[in-house]
Amino acid sequence: MLKLKNMDKIVTIENKNYPKLLKEIGNETPKKLYYKGEWNMDIFENCLAVVGSRHLTSYGRKVTEQLVTEIAASGITIVSGFMYGGDEAAHQATVKIGGRTIAVMPCGIDIIHPEYQEKLYYEILENKGLIISELEGKFLPVNWTYARRNRIVAGLSKAILVVEAGLNSGSLITAKYAKKYGRKIFAVPGQITSDVSKGTIKLIKEGAEVATEAGDILKYYNVSSTLSKLQKPSFNTSKEEQKIIEQLKREPMEVDTLSRTLGISAAKIGTTLSLMQLKGFINQESGKYYIN
Amino acid sequence: MLIKVLSVVNLGLETVKVDVEVNLANRGLPGFEIVGLPDKAVDESKERVRAAILSSGVDFPAKKITVNLAPADIQKEGSLYDLPIAVGILSSVLKFSIPDKSLFLGELSFDGSLRHTKGALLMALFAKESGFLNLFVPKDSANEAVAVKGIKVFPVDNLIQLAGYFLKKKNIEPVLYQKIINELPAPAEFDMKEVLGQEQAKRAMEIAAAGGHNIIMVGSPGSGKTMLARALPGILPPLNETESLEVTKIYSVAGNISPGGSLITTRQFRSPHHTASLVGLIGGGTKPHPGEVSLAHRGVLFLDEFNEFPHNVMEAMRQPLEDGYLTISRSKQRVVYPADFMLVASANPCPCGYLNHPKKNCVCAMRQIKKYQKRISGPILDRIDLHIAILPVDTTEFSDNQKNSELLESSNQIKQRVVFAREKQESRFDKDSIQSNAQMKNSHIKKYCKLTKDIEELLHRASIKFQLSARSYMKTIKVARTIADLDDSEEITISHMAEALQYKPKIYESA
Repeated sequence: MLKLKNMDKIVTIENKNYPKLLKEIGNETPKKLYYKGEWNMDIFENCLAVVGSRHLTSYGRKVTEQLVTEIAASGITIVSGFMYGGDEAAHQATVKIGGRTIAVMPCGIDIIHPEYQEKLYYEILENKGLIISELEGKFLPVNWTYARRNRIVAGLSKAILVVEAGLNSGSLITAKYAKKYGRKIFAVPGQITSDVSKGTIKLIKEGAEVATEAGDILKYYNVSSTLSKLQKPSFNTSKEEQKIIEQLKREPMEVDTLSRTLGISAAKIGTTLSLMQLKGFINQESGKYYIN
Repeated sequence: MLIKVLSVVNLGLETVKVDVEVNLANRGLPGFEIVGLPDKAVDESKERVRAAILSSGVDFPAKKITVNLAPADIQKEGSLYDLPIAVGILSSVLKFSIPDKSLFLGELSFDGSLRHTKGALLMALFAKESGFLNLFVPKDSANEAVAVKGIKVFPVDNLIQLAGYFLKKKNIEPVLYQKIINELPAPAEFDMKEVLGQEQAKRAMEIAAAGGHNIIMVGSPGSGKTMLARALPGILPPLNETESLEVTKIYSVAGNISPGGSLITTRQFRSPHHTASLVGLIGGGTKPHPGEVSLAHRGVLFLDEFNEFPHNVMEAMRQPLEDGYLTISRSKQRVVYPADFMLVASANPCPCGYLNHPKKNCVCAMRQIKKYQKRISGPILDRIDLHIAILPVDTTEFSDNQKNSELLESSNQIKQRVVFAREKQESRFDKDSIQSNAQMKNSHIKKYCKLTKDIEELLHRASIKFQLSARSYMKTIKVARTIADLDDSEEITISHMAEALQYKPKIYESA
């Protein structure tokens, strides 16, 4: 019975519903795909792989949110690997705007990995997304399954967007597959001193296209953005708030640095920052404040 | 011939009178026996007493000597009965009478002199309560006892001197109550001005010290967590007289007062290592002994590497954190020790320690990080009012002025504000049974932390945005109260509340 039940959720390579793009990757094409969710062919039409480091910085998270929100809102399916960090940010941003996203798992289809992202897992399904794996049942994720999984992420997508990547990272493996399959590669530039920007900078040097706004990618898909330019809240700010915003525009900063550079006491600046956060001007992540 | 000398036994912090009955019988073979549930130390006092009397130039009576420690069903321990037993025997030999309403305590040395003995303060307090007038204690322990009003403390040097006093040949000048004024600041390893950067953490320390709030610092190795904690004693307010007695009592029972030492007037800073045992930290043993939490009473318990502490040790701290005391139950005895301390905890954000580090990369998997952070349980985190993230400071980016520690605020300057805020709290809670803002229960919060509509609205918005739990909500109000006190404001204003929100749970979230 169990087997029959699983049979229901398999698409084999002979099936006419098998994603066309994935067939084009030659002998690396998975013979069959297990899945959860509803298999609609149109979900595979315009796929963009979004990958990023597991140790995504606040910058990476912000960029992912910004780009993916607009791209997903324009009807493009976001494909990623359900790992924490970059993948999770991409899936999260997509479901938040109600877009469709495909999570390619590195483990058997019956396992949620990592298990603490269970909530996101179901949100993906609720938003008509797909969970895909070439591995059956309760196959545990091991070193090699992560790398193999990446070829499906690349294979499903017309293009790939690398947000942040270390030099020796899974994201670069995905990019390598994409290059091999002749897919377009977009990379987000970052600070040259940041370890998780070294991978993306390498990609840019090797000819990847620089992506700084959603339009760069949407142009490639011949889709126009359906999101009107995000309405920035009109800033009705005090002088002190203005000073803080000026600093944060340059780079995210922690309280202590802000207090030192602006010469405002920690108590006072804490008050202002809390209020600005509540007004939605700024946000805090991993100890640093940045502009929303 | 029967002689009765009075002494005490301490059961935890409770003191019970003990009659030391010395009987010298002319009949029977010469011998020396102690009855009345003595432990080994009490039993051995036979030898000390015999040697001390002989060294004092008095012939030890060749009689059958029996000593009874009544009430006979309470276990007696320690060396404090040496003096009463010796006085009993001497009074029979030298024919002097023992003054009424006198208590004796002290350990004898073979040469007849008296040694520092623990528990003098408790005996003095008991003496005052029960109407005793004279206290005969070793000279080294007398300073403890004189902290109590209305009794005469006789500092005894040796047996010869004491016998001479009873025979009216020598004089011992009794010492009366002395108000102990200790203006010495609490010894801190660092001054706050030596801590460069960490502006917010320093401010959080000030708030914690002012309101007695528990605080947790999370940050990478070398970011200055321990230094900040060790600078904390320098900004703590001094103990008032009642608190001072409470603390000294615990130290007196534990035998942690050094010879010649007197009342403890500074807040204690205890920093047990994370390998400390449950009993060491909480207290216990067959004879319940106060643990680190009690020794930190009215002071600071600093737990470095908080999540390295064994789970059971951490969880056992829940009761003292909530109630301010703890009950140690053993088959033969139940003891209540006060343990109202301010918890200062420090922890790394992840196993490798470099999560969120600006320069180094964290090499931990998310699963490891989650597991590591879960080691501090929700109920414990819930009892911590202030959460701060400590980021490493790069002093190379400082200007010369910023690097000059002389320009920074010193511990003394901060302490003045802390003391001021504490005084405000003391007068506010005059009629309540609490001393500081951190101890406020919901009823107190309702009474003393009136919030305007605006502030309630702000707090409500914040609790949605930052997903504050109901308990965090209350904690934020308490912290805001302290901030308002530091600001000398009766009202809690929007800015006080906004600042309090800075210290909400961050990396370690209570689940």
